[in-house]
Amino acid sequence: MVDELLFFMEVLVGGLLAGTMYSLVALGFVLIFKASATFNFSQGAMVFFSVLAFCGFMQDFNIPFVLAFILAALLMVVVGLCTERLVLRPLMNASEDTVLMATIGLGYVLEGLAQAAWGVEVRRLDLGIGDFPVPWIADNLKLFISALDITAGFVAAIMIIGLFLLFKYTKIGLGLRAVADDAGAASSIGIPLKHIMLLVWSAAGVVALVAGCMWGARAGVQFALVDLALKALPVLIIGGFSSIPGAIIGGLIIGAVEKVLEVYIGPFFGGAIEGWAPYVLAIFFLLYRPEGLFGEKIIRRV
Amino acid sequence: MSNNSANILDIKNIEVRYDNVILALHDVSLKVPKGKVVALLGANGAGKSTTLKAVSTMLASERGKVTNGSIEYDGNAIDKQTPSQMVGLGMVQVLEGRRCFGHLTVEENIISGAYSRKLSKGDINQELEKIYTYFIRLKERRKSQAAFTSGGEQQMIAVARAMMAKPKMLLLDEPTMGLAPQLVAEIFNIVKELNTKEGVSILLAEQNTNVALKNSDYGYIIETGRVMLDGTAESLLNDDKVKELYLGISKKGRKNFRDVLKEESLTKKRSN
Repeated sequence: MVDELLFFMEVLVGGLLAGTMYSLVALGFVLIFKASATFNFSQGAMVFFSVLAFCGFMQDFNIPFVLAFILAALLMVVVGLCTERLVLRPLMNASEDTVLMATIGLGYVLEGLAQAAWGVEVRRLDLGIGDFPVPWIADNLKLFISALDITAGFVAAIMIIGLFLLFKYTKIGLGLRAVADDAGAASSIGIPLKHIMLLVWSAAGVVALVAGCMWGARAGVQFALVDLALKALPVLIIGGFSSIPGAIIGGLIIGAVEKVLEVYIGPFFGGAIEGWAPYVLAIFFLLYRPEGLFGEKIIRRV
Repeated sequence: MSNNSANILDIKNIEVRYDNVILALHDVSLKVPKGKVVALLGANGAGKSTTLKAVSTMLASERGKVTNGSIEYDGNAIDKQTPSQMVGLGMVQVLEGRRCFGHLTVEENIISGAYSRKLSKGDINQELEKIYTYFIRLKERRKSQAAFTSGGEQQMIAVARAMMAKPKMLLLDEPTMGLAPQLVAEIFNIVKELNTKEGVSILLAEQNTNVALKNSDYGYIIETGRVMLDGTAESLLNDDKVKELYLGISKKGRKNFRDVLKEESLTKKRSN
């Protein structure tokens, strides 16, 4: 009995921590959705682009870890800057659907640029944190929990606290919340939309880099990271597209539910249900609570 | 560039189109003298909001464009500016329908109006206290979420927010829409106070002809994108046609100025 309970705890905690990795990806979407009410289809490409650049800086140019990370973060700010200037500003008064299409195009450009610059082979990213159970926890609590999952949990917590402080207590944060509520009214009192766009695209870029590092360390830095965007969709549907706490909780729910279902119900379906179980959950949310747990607006269909 | 002329705003014969096709304004000219309150009156769809948005350059975000004529504000021609540049020049529009930031508190809403100004925290608090002297009701509700305040309070938030940008000129779009008469009076009292104590010039779009004229210096009446009549507020309040068409003191079944003009030309022809 105790063993069973411990095993359940292990599955649950492992799932929750893995869920924070989804949260990190979803966070990038939320930032951009808040400011421009657009689902950013290029978020997955941004994850791939940023972490591949990070690996490239380290492995091709032998730049030390910390410096390479800072360079990659700066690169994402530049990407945000270019996006604002070349894509968003010309489309300033276009409909949301137009901007949505533009983000799809932007995604392809980023994927292409990343592979042109750094090559197409899978790279290994070593963060110095192993993806294996932490011995101390295994010995004392009898739980086998991956060090990478724990790190991801910490990193996600730090990012969320940081973003919360940024939005709640800074001037530009106030501007962002104002734009998120009513962009027209915000511009009528002189809040420059372009600054806010620059902020959210840069922030989403850095969040993408962090998420990419976590996922890259687990699964290798490869093209498949682009499809992470798809994994964020059920997270966003459950949490709500415009809510940062929603992205976090949604990620945790998806992580926990898919692991628990995989372990306890998976065998009846012949396993491998974690690939689609989140989407089933998402469909239930779309049917019964389409704005998500924390969503402020009705979700746009994408 | 400073402006020595008596008018802070001078609109000359503007024509406005949406999507390059729909003609919203045919020919609107109006002047706002410095430190005065000017009312822009007319029914739904007459072009009041379009006129205000042409001035504040908010038209672009609705795919509208001034296709003819000119607008001069404080000695500068307005054409390529963005709304935030206009705010920087001291021209702030309070949009129709209040448009508060619902998830922000009342105080955050008001502070957001100072976004374009470089103020320290202390300066902001000082300005805030000054604003609260005009909007006493908002001070009591400063910590509430704006979405949960009443319609009158939201209108006050919208005006207070605009005042935080330290405007020389305010454009108010239907500030009394959907408000009870008592609140209408309260809002107009505040507007008058801001005008006299802070020296803000005001261009006011209203359907509430009577109250608007009683609180203005000058008035313009527009219909289907054209100025039909203008004059001092007093003269308009006493004008027979205005009384008939806009103040509900009606004789016959005439509904608008076009009908009046038609009738007049008919009687002229007959007398000839």
